[in-house]
Amino acid sequence: MAAYFDDKDLAHFGDLKDHAPELWERFMQYYGPAFEPGLLSKREKVLIGFAVAQASQCPYCVDSYTQQALEQGLTMKHLAEAMHAAASLKAGITLAHGLVAHNVDKKVSM
Amino acid sequence: MTAVPLRVLEAPPRARFDAHLARHGGELRAERVTTLQINVGKKCNQACRHCHVDAGPLRTEVMPDAVVDACLAALARAPECDTLDVTGGAPELHPRFREIVRRARALGRRTIVRHNLTVQQEPGQQDLPEFLAAQQCEVVASLPHYTEDATDRQRGRGVYDKSVAALVRLNAVGYGGGHGLVLNLVSNPVGAFLPPRQQDLERDMRLYLGERHGIVFDRLFTITNMPIARFADWLDQHDRRAEYMERLESAFNSATLPGLMCRSLVSVSWDGRLFDCDFNQMLELSIEGEEPASIFGLDLRRLAGRRVRTADHCLGCTAGAGSSCGGALT
Repeated sequence: MAAYFDDKDLAHFGDLKDHAPELWERFMQYYGPAFEPGLLSKREKVLIGFAVAQASQCPYCVDSYTQQALEQGLTMKHLAEAMHAAASLKAGITLAHGLVAHNVDKKVSM
Repeated sequence: MTAVPLRVLEAPPRARFDAHLARHGGELRAERVTTLQINVGKKCNQACRHCHVDAGPLRTEVMPDAVVDACLAALARAPECDTLDVTGGAPELHPRFREIVRRARALGRRTIVRHNLTVQQEPGQQDLPEFLAAQQCEVVASLPHYTEDATDRQRGRGVYDKSVAALVRLNAVGYGGGHGLVLNLVSNPVGAFLPPRQQDLERDMRLYLGERHGIVFDRLFTITNMPIARFADWLDQHDRRAEYMERLESAFNSATLPGLMCRSLVSVSWDGRLFDCDFNQMLELSIEGEEPASIFGLDLRRLAGRRVRTADHCLGCTAGAGSSCGGALT
């Protein structure tokens, strides 16, 4: 194995059905409709996908959702705003966990 | 009759598109010609990175007088061909551009001018908006994106600002306001991906250009980048051609076939040869069954029912929502 992540892997995502076809099928029945336009547009859902991919640090998903976003008429300017929104929320989440430390400190310290 | 030079080029691959076509009727047949599209030359004040014509300031190909006259004569002989579509290059740089427009309008033909906007700032073109308005031309203006960064990356630094100024000028003479002077915008993707949904980008363009610049327009056309000429070179330089072809092929949509522009249009090159579309023209895939395949003395009615020549670049017109000089097809 040359590398753990390779952009050519993306085309083999469907291979994951090989060892668990029923579970794969159930996943696709969930994933497909979840990204269909509803009250949210396709573009809004693609942007959510991009932000989650970014925050989850999944290179396959960042690749896929960047290309999908471009095909939705978005540009790197839009994606830069989305990635900063995602990154700042991640920073906020990290900070927010500090409240647990605050609470523990209040509980056990004099 | 003026002789048309013969050219022998290696035929482009066609197996992939034809395999799809075989599953949906087997061949493309043209209907009657309702649009005569004339490419009056490859000279352009811009050199866009996606250009399928390889147009630019250094190109010297210009439609000669005899071909201009033959085009107008063919148009006059065919009243059912109700539209003249003038393209280039920047067609306004042709020395007889205004005469072509006047004569087509005098024949009562709807006349579309494919306009790159920035040509308005070229010497001698300052009154172009007034001329187009006086002739009641339909203007199809190129603006790939409502953001400056994306537009300038495709069309050159500073093009967005110049384009905005040109759109403001067109609005000022009455274009795009819904009062008969039609201003449509055209967007090609800024890279190797399919265009967004036409309605979505049109809505965003309208909102952004309206709020930021007070610009109004009628419709937005999305056009897929064709894997030929300069865009094909760009794909090759970035080792993206195979993936792009796969993207086009994977998005094949048979619902686009009835509306393909080659069914109702014939394209004339600067030197008078005939093609099923502007893209075939750039690949030197001349019309089948016309000897010689040229505009000289042509009765456009003879082209009805012809078999359209196809190759794998046709996947660009059948991908997703489809693509044509009039935008999406579905």
